[in-house]
Amino acid sequence: MEEEEEEARALLAGGPGAPSALPALCDPGRLAHRLLVLLLMCFLGFGSYFCYDNPAALQSQFKRDMQVNTTKFMLLYAWYSWPNVVLCFFGGFLIDRVFGIRWGTIIFSCFVCIGQVVFALGGIFNAFWLMEFGRFVFGIGGESLAVAQNTYAVSWFKGKELNLVFGLQLSMARIGSTVNMNLMGWLYSQVEALLGSAGPTTLGVTLIIGGITCILSLICALALAYLDQRAERILHKEQGKTGEVIKLTDVKDFSLPLWLIFIICVSYYVAVFPFIGLGKVFFIEKFGFSSEAASAINSVVYVISAPMSPVFGLLVDKTGRNIVWVLCAVAATLASHLMLALTLWNPWIAMCLLGISYSLLACALWPMVAFVVPEHQLGTAYGFMQSIQNLGLAIISIIAGMILDTRGYLFLEVFFIACVSLSLLSVVLLYVVNHAQGGNLNYSARQREEIKLSHTE
Amino acid sequence: MCGCEEPRWGWGHCAPSPMLLLSVLLSAAPFGLLGEETRQVSLEVIPDWLDPPQNLLHVRAVGTNSTLHYVWSSLGPPAVLLVATNTPYSTLSVNWSRLLSPKPDGGLMVLPKDSIQFSSALVFTRLFEFDSTNTSDAAAKPPGKPYPPYSLAKFSWNNISDSLDPATMSATFQGRPIHDPTKAFANGSLSFRVQAFSRSGRPAQPPRLLHTADTCQLEVALVGASPQGNRSLFGLEVATLGQGPDCPSVQEQHSIDDEYTPAVFQLHQLLWGSVPTGFVQWRPVAFSQKQGSRESALPCQASPLYPALAYLLPQSPIVRAFFGSQNNFCAFNLTFGASTGPGYWDQHYLSWSMLLGVGTPPVDALSPLVLGIMAVALGAPGLMLLAGGLFLLLGHKRYSEYQPIN
Repeated sequence: MEEEEEEARALLAGGPGAPSALPALCDPGRLAHRLLVLLLMCFLGFGSYFCYDNPAALQSQFKRDMQVNTTKFMLLYAWYSWPNVVLCFFGGFLIDRVFGIRWGTIIFSCFVCIGQVVFALGGIFNAFWLMEFGRFVFGIGGESLAVAQNTYAVSWFKGKELNLVFGLQLSMARIGSTVNMNLMGWLYSQVEALLGSAGPTTLGVTLIIGGITCILSLICALALAYLDQRAERILHKEQGKTGEVIKLTDVKDFSLPLWLIFIICVSYYVAVFPFIGLGKVFFIEKFGFSSEAASAINSVVYVISAPMSPVFGLLVDKTGRNIVWVLCAVAATLASHLMLALTLWNPWIAMCLLGISYSLLACALWPMVAFVVPEHQLGTAYGFMQSIQNLGLAIISIIAGMILDTRGYLFLEVFFIACVSLSLLSVVLLYVVNHAQGGNLNYSARQREEIKLSHTE
Repeated sequence: MCGCEEPRWGWGHCAPSPMLLLSVLLSAAPFGLLGEETRQVSLEVIPDWLDPPQNLLHVRAVGTNSTLHYVWSSLGPPAVLLVATNTPYSTLSVNWSRLLSPKPDGGLMVLPKDSIQFSSALVFTRLFEFDSTNTSDAAAKPPGKPYPPYSLAKFSWNNISDSLDPATMSATFQGRPIHDPTKAFANGSLSFRVQAFSRSGRPAQPPRLLHTADTCQLEVALVGASPQGNRSLFGLEVATLGQGPDCPSVQEQHSIDDEYTPAVFQLHQLLWGSVPTGFVQWRPVAFSQKQGSRESALPCQASPLYPALAYLLPQSPIVRAFFGSQNNFCAFNLTFGASTGPGYWDQHYLSWSMLLGVGTPPVDALSPLVLGIMAVALGAPGLMLLAGGLFLLLGHKRYSEYQPIN
């Protein structure tokens, strides 16, 4: 019995000594099979990332066909975020205790699909409230699906290529967003040509076609569930768990640096995602871009982040000094928003800078949480961080829409500058607090190594 | 003294730098008619004892050492004369019998004649209508199949005295075709609302153009008229006097500031000559709803000015009366809306505004609120960085004091 377990572990790790009764692709112990699983995992998230930014890609079409102002348009993003303010805490719990990873993934994928279909039906029936409801349902599935995706990754690749797998999943997510930005406008015009006129129906049909990516993701979820179960049968592999323990009472133990990290996170992301949501028309009106060029530049943040995330991840790992990196990223973002707001320079410069700083921030900021929180509170801390990020996004999306309708893009940019500036202020404060408390946030990689050694001694 | 006005600093590459603007203002000062902070504005309907009465509205804006005269009339097509003089005492003299005769030359005069520094005129000659159903290209010219245009000279206008409002210094010319066989204007009208200002400011109604005491605002509104097609676009033909053989050009200024007209970054300007002369200024946006919200904003396209033969344009007696019969006319067309997006068809409403004035056209500056937020947003982290740097420096010093013990 013990031997068998040992063998299974070796199989899971792709050990060379394992007997191969099955062809490599079908053998859950082999690398080839894990790559197949990796491919399925990547496409598992593709649909939800593709559809998340559908409104941004079709901003002018939405506002024209549904006859809504920017404030109402931004509600589509807010409705996505609302359920996740709460679900961030329960996603892990639902996966671990209620559904299990397989059913959890399938159920969340179904939510994504149903949400997108309802969203599209809202277009076909020309009912904006139905669209909002669709985004709500979509939101319930979307973010939890990402948690499930990570759980699968840990369960299949722990101790192996895990970081690479996370990087690839993130890249795939960004590719999904990019493809969406550049494809949906074209798709809309094709549907328009087919139906003979623009209108809510055209919009709805376009969204239904976009929803095919969600069906694809659902198929991946089903395939993954099957393969995971099969691997369990063959290798006696346990069903993956997030291992997250959320204890809301932990919140009172959160330290000042952690709260500062939360502020940095929220005030930074609200100046990036709502901006991208509203960016297309900005590039058309202010810089005279064509619709296609505006889509391209609006997606450049994602395009850059796809290859740069792993690179920056490595950079931050090798050098340490997270606060300095975060400071650089936030300052660069501030510079980029200043350029967009106050100059007529080619916006490609500012957007590329934004893309680079956004990728750098993600790599330097999120791991910091692990340094300031004891391991048993990590789940709560990350859940909390995502939750207030979603809360921030929901509220700021609505405010951004309102500002744009009444005060225009310059004021909106100034508002975003103020947000990034708050973020910068928090980073500086974090630096000072960390320095004063003798914290470990800004150690170089070598210092961290030394500390680790001294602890183990 | 004029020219002492605070320099407004323009942003964007077409806007002059503060220093340049200041020097322009200072150099403009000797001409003695520009940049008055406030003016005494009076609106007077000049009576004619005719039936039906002909509308002649005289807006007189008196500054400390200059007077601006705007003469608006619906005699013939709606038209305005703009005359700037370098004395606060210049007056308008009207000879009605000559003005109404077939040869109105000399029927309108601004006296004394040698005080006139600048004069020009705008004539609104025709209202165009296009069928945009099968045009997908927004920039196409013409923007669709044209319907027969309405000649504004063949409109009948209300009595201007009824709409004269001394409180807001405004008056509205409201007209409909005299012969309207299709009954298109049975429930509709085309109106020209004229407003003068005694000091600088900004109306609450979009496009919220910044006005000064040297300007006058015109809002053209088409309300309730039945369009001839389902997706009709409207356009306006505007004629003006060319200075010399060439036509003036429409400049397109690009700015970073869209605070007052969300998502509209352009400002169009027609300058009659080098600064300082008269100008027409407008944002390339029209609205299909009365409240002028952003979702009702329509693009407004202006054609370049082209020389127009005087006999092809409906004649304006007041222009001929003031300028005589030997004039070069130039014309341009404005088109409102595109085949997609909001349009006149939504609510049978269309409005567009422009400023007419003398001197340096007003330039939008960043609002105090924007500047305030920017100052705080950039100042606070800057100060914090500085303080943090000092803190670290001092911290290191203290740290180094301990080092010898090691």
